[in-house]
Amino acid sequence: MSSRSVSRILILFVVFSLLLVGSMGVLAQDEKVTVGVDAPPRTMDPHGSDADSNLSVMSNFFEGLLQRNTKGELLPGLATSWERVDRLTWRFELRKGVEFHNGNEFTWEDVKYTFEERLENPEVSEFISFGSAIESVSRVDGNDWVIDIVTTEPIPYFVQNLHQVFIVDKESTMERSQGDIGTKPVGTGPYVFDEWVKGSYLRMSANQNYWDGVPEVKNAEIRAITEASTRLATISSGEVDVLQGIPVTMYEAVENNNSIEVITRPSRRAIYLGLGNRDELPTSSLKVRKAMYMAINEKELIEKVMFGHATPAAQIPDPPTTGYSDKIERLEYNPERAKELLAEAGYEDGFTITLSAPNDRYVQDEQIASTIASYLSKVGIDVEVDAKPKSVYFEEVMNNELDFYLIGWFDGSYDFGRSYSKLLHSVDPETGYGTFNGARYSDSVADQLYEASKKVVDPDLRASILRDLNRLAMERVAVIPLHYQEDTYAVRKDSSVEFTPRSDTWIVFKEMSLE
Amino acid sequence: MSSYIGRRILQGIVVLFLVSFIAFIIFQYLGDPVMTLAGRYATQAQREEVRQSLGLDKPFYVQYFNFLKNALQGNFGMSYVTRVPVLDLIAERLPASIELAFVAESFAVIMGVSLGVFVSANPKSIMSKFLMTGSLFGVSLPTFLVGILLIYIFSIKLGIMPSSGRGETITILNFWRSGLLTLDGWRHVILPAFTLGMFQMALLFRITRGAMLEVLSAEYIRTAWAKGLKGKMVLFKHALRNALIPVVTMIGLQFGQLIGFAIVTESIFQWPGAGNLLLNSLYESDFPVVATYVIMVALIVVFLNVIVDISYAFLNPKIRYK
Repeated sequence: MSSRSVSRILILFVVFSLLLVGSMGVLAQDEKVTVGVDAPPRTMDPHGSDADSNLSVMSNFFEGLLQRNTKGELLPGLATSWERVDRLTWRFELRKGVEFHNGNEFTWEDVKYTFEERLENPEVSEFISFGSAIESVSRVDGNDWVIDIVTTEPIPYFVQNLHQVFIVDKESTMERSQGDIGTKPVGTGPYVFDEWVKGSYLRMSANQNYWDGVPEVKNAEIRAITEASTRLATISSGEVDVLQGIPVTMYEAVENNNSIEVITRPSRRAIYLGLGNRDELPTSSLKVRKAMYMAINEKELIEKVMFGHATPAAQIPDPPTTGYSDKIERLEYNPERAKELLAEAGYEDGFTITLSAPNDRYVQDEQIASTIASYLSKVGIDVEVDAKPKSVYFEEVMNNELDFYLIGWFDGSYDFGRSYSKLLHSVDPETGYGTFNGARYSDSVADQLYEASKKVVDPDLRASILRDLNRLAMERVAVIPLHYQEDTYAVRKDSSVEFTPRSDTWIVFKEMSLE
Repeated sequence: MSSYIGRRILQGIVVLFLVSFIAFIIFQYLGDPVMTLAGRYATQAQREEVRQSLGLDKPFYVQYFNFLKNALQGNFGMSYVTRVPVLDLIAERLPASIELAFVAESFAVIMGVSLGVFVSANPKSIMSKFLMTGSLFGVSLPTFLVGILLIYIFSIKLGIMPSSGRGETITILNFWRSGLLTLDGWRHVILPAFTLGMFQMALLFRITRGAMLEVLSAEYIRTAWAKGLKGKMVLFKHALRNALIPVVTMIGLQFGQLIGFAIVTESIFQWPGAGNLLLNSLYESDFPVVATYVIMVALIVVFLNVIVDISYAFLNPKIRYK
């Protein structure tokens, strides 16, 4: 083979590449908005996943009885009004004249079917807990448009959850296979499903019959790009208009890019450390807990590990959550005092403890854990970090046998009562209390206070009980709160998309507008 | 010959059994899928209910036996996460992986073999020395680095190539979604195919060169030259054909790997292939998908192995199995 034929091959390659580059222009932007997200939707069955990454997508196809706006306020959805009739009964007036995407009319039968049959089916639903708490759905005085939903026990935050419980069409859901339901959504929402190529993109177009007016963005596409650096490349090269989830380590590069606007907002998720409660552990002593709290320089941790993209937390709930108290403050950073406290508790020589953490769940999770370890070593506590994938880690949390663990939380129902029952209530497998109470924190006084709060109908009184509950837990250092993460978005300046991030991180296209 | 093929197929079946068994053992340590599937707020009893509905409450060997029994009837079950039949999920993704592997392989074979022949014919030229050094980079640079570099140069800095996805696709025969029939699809496949094929191109290049050098020093080649045959005739008809055997082995064996283990490339370029599906399924403990995927890849690799063995016989009449 001569060098001439080699150069011939090379020339062919160059010509071919030029042809491809020349076709760039074909990709002109139409009226479509493309959003890049960090986690792919798992299923198109609105009850098949309770992860926000999935609910986010579903909120474009489906609607709940209620909905939330960007600020997190509860608004009418498929129900026009709601009230709590007694401890167990909630009454809703349904919206008339709403159609599903297949032309079927929305009726109370659809609500009944969704709540009584879909939610608690263990084969298809991740809302089993919520679904099995529903006693009945029935019409009031035979009126098709007024319904009562009765729960099996008092659930004070019942309506707070209804924006994420989506109503499905009874007829088409019953006659289709689960495989079909899981890939082709039929809802009442502002967007109609076009195409889902799993692992690639999800396309939708505006619902021309939407009861609240046709949304401004006519065509929308969601692309899940799990690899962080590729995700950033798609916005730099203009393949997406809006991007969710800029990794803190790459934040600076994005900020220096003139064609991109960066939008941030405090995330709802708080990161905190759970502490062991067994009597033989040093951490069962309040003095040791306080000492560990005071040994952590949270300000520096945010600066160095989170690159400034987090805000200090003094409690688990975030400000919009019922039960958040602005009176709770962080214990000051004071390693000297921490050493004194340790000495008072009889641990002047320190002790050894294992800190468990996930390494693929929260922003910088493993790095936070090792930084905590180095802070604690300065006051004499020898911390061994045990970081592992979330699929294994959460199993350990739910076995409730950890000594010291890092975890994050935010409550989709905006209610500290529900958070308390899962995170800090004494572990009780029967009732499902304390599922994520990884180190068996237990305070019988607080538990009684929580039980009392469930029976209170007056929302203001209940909120004040939950605030007390929260304060009580923090005084006893039930956990060491660290910080709230930050939600980060990038928007291309040439895309003309008006985008306001939501507190729940959902991507809701009907809220976007085009300049 | 036929008994030889029969034996190979039998060996293949044993390999498949072993692979599926190992996959099952690994799954025991992948994390408990029920934890997420029952929802964050589920009670112990509700979780047990989900566990039963998935058949995960049964002992390990019963689960394995049930899986085998169903798999032999072509039923690989439902994905835990999407609740869609696993075979549909994988079948939907496989065309993307096969096309990517095909383009990567074609690129590697064309470039690797022709450059190998060129270097062996002109061992002293500067171009050859340059190519030999360059190929060292090809075999030693890790895939993810190459991928990210290519994205950085061609998508971000030059802005001439897309960084992710498959572009416009056309569905043929109702199930095969092809990106190779549109210009946009070709634009999207170039970078990932180069990333995936680079290692193999460098390898084929070096193997071809080595084999060619050996053959070129053989007596019959010198005879051919002495007879005054044209250069092309000697190089391609007499030398290359005999040098191809190790090359064909490599091509066949690696094609299976390109399909099955393009995971890193697929995840960097967000290529909607089966490798990407595997990665997501691993994160979510979606075992039916992982197991079926591993078995299918094993099937493809075993199948290609048999094909390679058979093709030997046609390439070189000296090799005939008894």
